[in-house]
Amino acid sequence: MAILECKNLFKKYGAVEALSDVTLSIDSGRIIGLLGPNGSGKTTLIKLANGLLMPSSGEILIDGKAPGRESHAIVSYLPERTAIPIWMNAKQLMDYYEDFYADFNRSAAEEMLEHLGIRPNQKIRQMSKGTREKVQLIMVMSRQAKLYFLDEPIGGVDPATRDYILSTIISNYNPEASVIISTHLISDVEKVLDDVLFINNGRLMLQTSVDQIREEKGMSVDELFREVFKC
Amino acid sequence: MLKKLLKHEFRATARTMLPMYLILLVASLGANLTTRGLLETEYPILDTIGVILVMLFVMAIIAVCVMTLVTMIERFCKNLLGDEGYLSMTLPVSVHQQVWTKLIVSVVWFAATAAAVVIAFCIMAFDLGVVKQALDVLVGLLRELWQNMSAYYALNGTAIVLELVVLVVVGLAANCLRFYAAMALGYSFANYKLPLAVVFFFVIGGVEKFLLSLAMNLLHIVNVADLFDQILIQHPMTMTHTVFVGCIVSQLILSGIFYFLTTYCLKNRLNLE
Repeated sequence: MAILECKNLFKKYGAVEALSDVTLSIDSGRIIGLLGPNGSGKTTLIKLANGLLMPSSGEILIDGKAPGRESHAIVSYLPERTAIPIWMNAKQLMDYYEDFYADFNRSAAEEMLEHLGIRPNQKIRQMSKGTREKVQLIMVMSRQAKLYFLDEPIGGVDPATRDYILSTIISNYNPEASVIISTHLISDVEKVLDDVLFINNGRLMLQTSVDQIREEKGMSVDELFREVFKC
Repeated sequence: MLKKLLKHEFRATARTMLPMYLILLVASLGANLTTRGLLETEYPILDTIGVILVMLFVMAIIAVCVMTLVTMIERFCKNLLGDEGYLSMTLPVSVHQQVWTKLIVSVVWFAATAAAVVIAFCIMAFDLGVVKQALDVLVGLLRELWQNMSAYYALNGTAIVLELVVLVVVGLAANCLRFYAAMALGYSFANYKLPLAVVFFFVIGGVEKFLLSLAMNLLHIVNVADLFDQILIQHPMTMTHTVFVGCIVSQLILSGIFYFLTTYCLKNRLNLE
């Protein structure tokens, strides 16, 4: 069974169509790049998958079920903004994740925090924006989830942090799980991707594997992206 | 999961409420100095200090009450509808558990604030005879009640106290849910979320008042007032219970409507920025 399935999915904000007739299926064990220019509908799709928005029509299923409390237990979601309560310290945040997510691996989280030199009793409020993003990513990647949604995980961070984030994703995700990474910084993530989804103006334009792009088109994902989305 | 949500909600709100209670305690101790005679000395500086201490006490009471309300609103708004909503609303819990958590914790803090204010007044007036006098009156009343109590009055008295407690709790819950419903409705729109939440709050209040006046007019038309007067004279206890139960039921109906609006919006019209 596909871990993520969309059937004729539409999402409208008033008269504006954010997603239009999206049909796709994603299997377990893949790292997928959800690629598209700004405002193409990437975040809307991720929000729909997390039950933060309701579809205007069509269906979105996580492991065969509509988004809800059951899917939340198997999905680990990194939003494009800092969503962790900033009044907490890192230890309290781990308590929080441990309480609600049965698949949270506390020792993995503690190890990553220590590796980055983040003190567990340091308030998140006192951390820099980049450190907050790292802490949030550590919490998300310390779960042994079936499906990970990472919305712009490397946007707005320096190249060294980008490398750390990508290595964290690769070294921590459950190999039987799927990871969906939304970004427009393709060259940075290309090396970790198995498949890509190209999305523009709310429409799914392409779903294929990275190997296929290289073999059939003879170009990198970044080059294909620039060609497809040429202004 | 409700237990875990409650634990974290209390942890999140206690960091605001407990310091507020501490400030109130300190202010009431200060006011106690004033009531002990700070204003009656021959030193003007002590008079000034006494006035300031009383003012601080009044301000502390107002601040605690306002902060209880602000915390109730802020927690719902920030934790469910703001950036934290991206985490809260993707926890493996239901929307009902989220709303119940906010509601239970808010009602508990409102009750705690009421208790803290009463205690603060007792501290302020401590050792002045006022508390002792009040306690003496209360004990005298209870003793008299105990002596004159028949099974009829004992049962009804207990029932009335219980009805009063239930009414206070349900009334508090209805008030919290009124705010939640207004916020959930306002924040379900793409723009002007906060202004719309304020508008919805007043619209809900207006509709409530309109329906209440409509109901009163209907009662007036069917001439229920006379019937009530007769019952009040012949069966005063029955009338008292009827009024209490009527108030509880009306608050429960309001709570049910606000709860439905809130959970409907959070489930179907959630629109985080």
